[in-house]
Amino acid sequence: MLEISLGRGLLLVVGIFATSLWAAEDPPAGSEMTATVGNNHPGYYWKVEPAAETSQLLTLFCGGCGSRITENSNGANIPLLAILRDTLGEYRADQDRLLDVWLLDYANPGLGKKILSAVPFFYWHPGSGSRSAANQYPKPLFDLTTPQHPVLSDMGRDLLQWTALDPMMMPVRASSRAYRSNGIDDERLHLETAVSYLRSAPTSEEGWGLTESERNMVIARLELRKKLLGGLVTAKRAAELGEKSGYEEEQIRGRNWELLRQLAEKTGLVFEPLEIANHEGEYAMLSLPLGQGPPDTGSDLKPIWKLLGIRDPWTADRLKADPNQSGVGTRPLGVYSLTYPKLPLLLVDFRDRLRVQRHEMTQRSINEITAGVIGISHFTNWYYYVAADLYDFVSGRHGAAMMQSERLDAYSRLRMDLALDHQLDPALRHAMEARLNNVSVNPLQATADRELKNAQIRYARLEDEAAARGEVATLVDKQRRAELAQFGKTNAQLERKELFHLASFGLYKGLAPQSDDNIATLSVERRVNYQLSFLNGLATAGTQPEIAVDQTRIRSSIQELSSLMPKVDSPAVRAHAISTLNKLKSTSQSPELQTDCSSAIAAINGERVAEQPAQVPAVIAETALTQDNK
Amino acid sequence: MNFRLAAAAALCVAVPSCSLADSGKTPFQRVVILKVDGLNAELLYENMRQINEATGKPVLPWFAHIFGQNGTTFENFYTRGISLSAPSWSMLDTGQHAIIRGNVEWDRYTEHVYDYLNFFPFYLGYARNRQIDMQGVEVLDRAGIPLIIDRFQWDQVYQSFQLYQRGARWRTLQDVLKQRFSSRVLIPSLESAGAPSLDEMLGQQTEKELVAGLQDPDILYLDYYTGDIDHEGHATNQPAALLSVLKRLDALTGRIWTAIQKSSLAQQTLFVVVSDHGMNNVPDIHSEGFNLPDFFSSAAGGGHHVLLNRHELQDYKMVGLNPLVHRAYARSTDTFYLPGQVDEYPTAWLDLDGNERASVSLRNNDLNKIHILLLQLAKRDLQPNVRAAAAAYLSEVLDKHREGWSEKITRLEQELNALQSETEDQKQALESTPKKFTHDDYRMGRDKAVRRHVNELAHWEQERDEYTAYIAHLRALMKFKPDAARRFSARVQELVPPRSLGDANTLYDLQNYVVGPEPAGMVLDTSGNLDEQRSFRTVNYFPLLAAQRVRNNPQAALSSKPIDFTALRLPDAQAGHETYWLYCDDDHQLLIRTDESGNIQLQPVSHLVQDADGKVDFTAISWKDGLPLHLFEDAELQIPSGTDRATWLSGWHREREWLEAINLCKYSNGVIGITEELSPVAANVPGTPGMDPVLVSYEQRRRELVQPDIEVFASDHWNFNARNFNPGGNHGAFFRISTHSVWLLAGAGVPAQDVTEPYDSLNFASTVLNLLGKTPPMPDRVVNLAASTQANAR
Repeated sequence: MLEISLGRGLLLVVGIFATSLWAAEDPPAGSEMTATVGNNHPGYYWKVEPAAETSQLLTLFCGGCGSRITENSNGANIPLLAILRDTLGEYRADQDRLLDVWLLDYANPGLGKKILSAVPFFYWHPGSGSRSAANQYPKPLFDLTTPQHPVLSDMGRDLLQWTALDPMMMPVRASSRAYRSNGIDDERLHLETAVSYLRSAPTSEEGWGLTESERNMVIARLELRKKLLGGLVTAKRAAELGEKSGYEEEQIRGRNWELLRQLAEKTGLVFEPLEIANHEGEYAMLSLPLGQGPPDTGSDLKPIWKLLGIRDPWTADRLKADPNQSGVGTRPLGVYSLTYPKLPLLLVDFRDRLRVQRHEMTQRSINEITAGVIGISHFTNWYYYVAADLYDFVSGRHGAAMMQSERLDAYSRLRMDLALDHQLDPALRHAMEARLNNVSVNPLQATADRELKNAQIRYARLEDEAAARGEVATLVDKQRRAELAQFGKTNAQLERKELFHLASFGLYKGLAPQSDDNIATLSVERRVNYQLSFLNGLATAGTQPEIAVDQTRIRSSIQELSSLMPKVDSPAVRAHAISTLNKLKSTSQSPELQTDCSSAIAAINGERVAEQPAQVPAVIAETALTQDNK
Repeated sequence: MNFRLAAAAALCVAVPSCSLADSGKTPFQRVVILKVDGLNAELLYENMRQINEATGKPVLPWFAHIFGQNGTTFENFYTRGISLSAPSWSMLDTGQHAIIRGNVEWDRYTEHVYDYLNFFPFYLGYARNRQIDMQGVEVLDRAGIPLIIDRFQWDQVYQSFQLYQRGARWRTLQDVLKQRFSSRVLIPSLESAGAPSLDEMLGQQTEKELVAGLQDPDILYLDYYTGDIDHEGHATNQPAALLSVLKRLDALTGRIWTAIQKSSLAQQTLFVVVSDHGMNNVPDIHSEGFNLPDFFSSAAGGGHHVLLNRHELQDYKMVGLNPLVHRAYARSTDTFYLPGQVDEYPTAWLDLDGNERASVSLRNNDLNKIHILLLQLAKRDLQPNVRAAAAAYLSEVLDKHREGWSEKITRLEQELNALQSETEDQKQALESTPKKFTHDDYRMGRDKAVRRHVNELAHWEQERDEYTAYIAHLRALMKFKPDAARRFSARVQELVPPRSLGDANTLYDLQNYVVGPEPAGMVLDTSGNLDEQRSFRTVNYFPLLAAQRVRNNPQAALSSKPIDFTALRLPDAQAGHETYWLYCDDDHQLLIRTDESGNIQLQPVSHLVQDADGKVDFTAISWKDGLPLHLFEDAELQIPSGTDRATWLSGWHREREWLEAINLCKYSNGVIGITEELSPVAANVPGTPGMDPVLVSYEQRRRELVQPDIEVFASDHWNFNARNFNPGGNHGAFFRISTHSVWLLAGAGVPAQDVTEPYDSLNFASTVLNLLGKTPPMPDRVVNLAASTQANAR
């Protein structure tokens, strides 16, 4: 019986390794090389290059951020992230589509690291990371055209864990859980890094980079990737979320900034915002003013020290013994991230090197003991998790940072920002890096410097593959054919296709056949979708469209749609177009628009064009009012 | 004494309308008011006029279309008084002078809380049949001041959820809860795709009901209240985030307008947008908070135990989850004589909900002295001569108040007796009212009228008990004879009323405020009497507050001096004349004087003090830069050309002249705002028609009892929020950006114009009611739209 279990366990461990490799589509390793790209630019900027003849590769650079890894004293420009935009050979807002995202500094962990990540309670990351990143084509971090695929594979892996691995003996359960947990954290860390880069990225409505709405959409997709079912969110909703998440983050930063400033004021400390890697308002440092006494405050400060996550420096024995306490100036106490949702998060404690690491290790250990070693299940031992959540909630209300994933996000940002920074005092940066390095408890992780070096190598490789017959061209072709196959399909048909894809472990792609007409067909379909989306937005608002948007633009959109529809066979798309135009016609009060809608509907139905605008009795007073007022 | 309906009925007599009626137009029959909390006029108007390149239309196309092109826009409309929601909405909703002057108010005698912004106790009270209206409405009803909605029958009104709300519609909440568990919400929650919040769903449901109400020709008053822009404005200064909320508001405006146009009363409907105040949102500037509770609880600030209406840092406390809280005590570790007595003797009560302005009520200075002396007399080891001197001094203090207290007790008891008598009469009257209601009664709100009546009686009884308890303490104090020979052994609580501040402090008190005994205890002078100066630790709050500096101020745009100025009303020198004192520092002070005709005059002064006898002394100075409100150096001051600034500013002018002269200045209508905020409130409490004069006097007393000792105004981009953080914008002060509000009108016959003449909150209700053919509460405040058209037509 034991042998059977062991054998099955081994098989499943191999299985989950294989599943993870398939699902994560990790980039392969390459070899190290030092390179600089272009001239120095201050801050972040985009470089747009042609890719696969009919597409564009948009690469985000950090100007002058590579001084740490190059001989160039001014610092090289570091490529951080690349995005593939399919333009079908011509840059136009109505037919472009973003396809893939590459995080250029993300190198696939080697086998050794993967094995270590499956060792429970192993919280260190030996070595600096993979040194062989350049030999193979770097696969994308995220495929924007199929956000739902990772959701399905994650669910599959969770099911595998719960149903097959968890019931097995403790070593299998513990190591499979450790492996999975480290893998998820590593992916999240890099997703957050990509999001952080994108938030710094400039936008351009003229094609010299992502437009604002494109950037919002990509950020939202990457953020949603961190959530279990996030990949199922529709594209429209994702764009809204991207915009909203930016505002929310700004609010969080502002709130934490002010909270930390006020707490510093209350405790007699010095608050100093830090600008790291051109990121304003994301970090701040608290220092102790030397040669001064504690503040005159009439309130109990114990809860405040708890909120700040540091020991009272006015009474701490170590500080009392410190000869530097006297004199003038300040002594740094801690660096805080201001992007953690609930409160400023202590990332660097200058007085206690291991404090943050101890906290992280304790939390990880508790998780590994309960879920991996003891095997407490969410289903059968739900009360434990309810109690744990309650404990987290109460601790959170008292100022403890209980959100492990968000802590990881904050850590991930500071880690890369420090690596890219070239403005901070070197001694301070070194002290921060030394302490921050201790926080990492994931064996899969590489050092930030190594990742930046890899970024340059991988970028060069990606540029090579973006040539006419490179891997990028193959990727674009596949994604275009998948898109062609999806156009005009009903939801049921699309869901069926996803099921086949899942059941065949990704082998079934459901691609349209290769054809010379594909680009032309795709152009029509994308333009139809674009115009329909625009008109539908106006129609569903329920108000006069010509008030919100200039009438000539609406008319031109209707005419464009009308001219494209004869080339569309899908009954679903035709029905959608007619319904949208009907709604538009009923909400509009403009005779010209109504005529256009009628003409377009007639054209879609293959009828003669109506000459008279439809009577719309719904709005009865508007005209009267306007005339009266005039 | 439920005279609300009677008052409303009296005011519902239609009068020939002015303005549009004068120009031959039919008055409107129906009004739809979009009430937007905290919408800054400049932010709105700028975006109404700016073109969005992507659409070829204005950034806010519906506002631009309805009001910018086809309606009336009031370019210079200001909050009157402090720019806070509760006072401001009270003026907008009634058209009368403010009797509510803060977002929270405390009764000095009884610690009764008027927490106007807290909805939760209202809903709970409503569910338990103990409350029928929001607290602000109850206060206005008691004062005999009707709301705009009171000019309509109950079944003609659709009122959304807001500060001055009558009744609650469970149906709306029920529908919102149903939606909460619908697939439309649950699926996005599962997908982590940001399911709409309860607030958003409430907004959607309200809109749905409002649109349905518009199709009913019997509903003649509809409103929609939204606090979204206010919340966003407090949270961030990011223009894109604010614009995003504005765009949603614009779309809502378009939908409401479309629904109005589809209704049968389209031509008779007046569509109004109004905001209660502006918001100090400036891109790239964080508003910084100064913690007044910390100041007052520190040794330097007096070591007060502080009473607030919300917990400080409430997001980091379990008690912060309690939505019903309206008293939160902050213990001082530096108190000089009240250790461990935070619950019984909080001696500084603060309203910090004003953000840019805080009100401070301190315990009566002589109660402090009495308390300290009693504690001294209770000591076993007090030297006999010191005991005798302390007892003698205590007797002096008590004697000083004896006459005043006696008179106060007599009047208050007279009022409480009248209240008791009225209570009994009303109880009898209630017995004859039906206990069961017909469908028609419910439709007409008669059930609510009865419930309102019942609740009011319960309040009266509670008040009577509270004031009686306070009187008992005063009586005990008057009866008390300090014993020069023996230790005081009774409980202090029997003499010094707990959770009470006693009478208001004079300026002298606040300039010589006793915060505890000196470390050496009671000290005698050469004559063997108690040496007041050396026995009591005192604080002069005005220079102390002005001297506050902040160490952590990383923004160059902000001064490290968080407090701009403090203000209070000086004792009356002449009947009908009032003087208000604004203090920046000893050398920069301003007096604002008003006469019985409402004329206003300013005088710069320095070193103003009041002596123990009440005499006020100051040095008159010339006009110079740096005085409170900074009018002298303000480039936007609009005075007749050729006139000397100092001469004009020192002259007596009508309120209208002041408004026209100063409205574009940095402190906008601050001169008028101070007079509105600090004027004797009793004069604004008319009482309900037919009300017993003794009871009117009682209501006036109750309003006087909630007036604070000091109003503190924050410097630009500073705020006093202590329960949470407002790093975005704030409001509350007189900065133009904080007071500049929105007022827009549209409807058939409303002229297309941008009105540039300045107006304030008092013009709103009177003008709207006038357009509806109803009696304006202040006819002289009606804006004649037809007359202004010629000057302002686009």
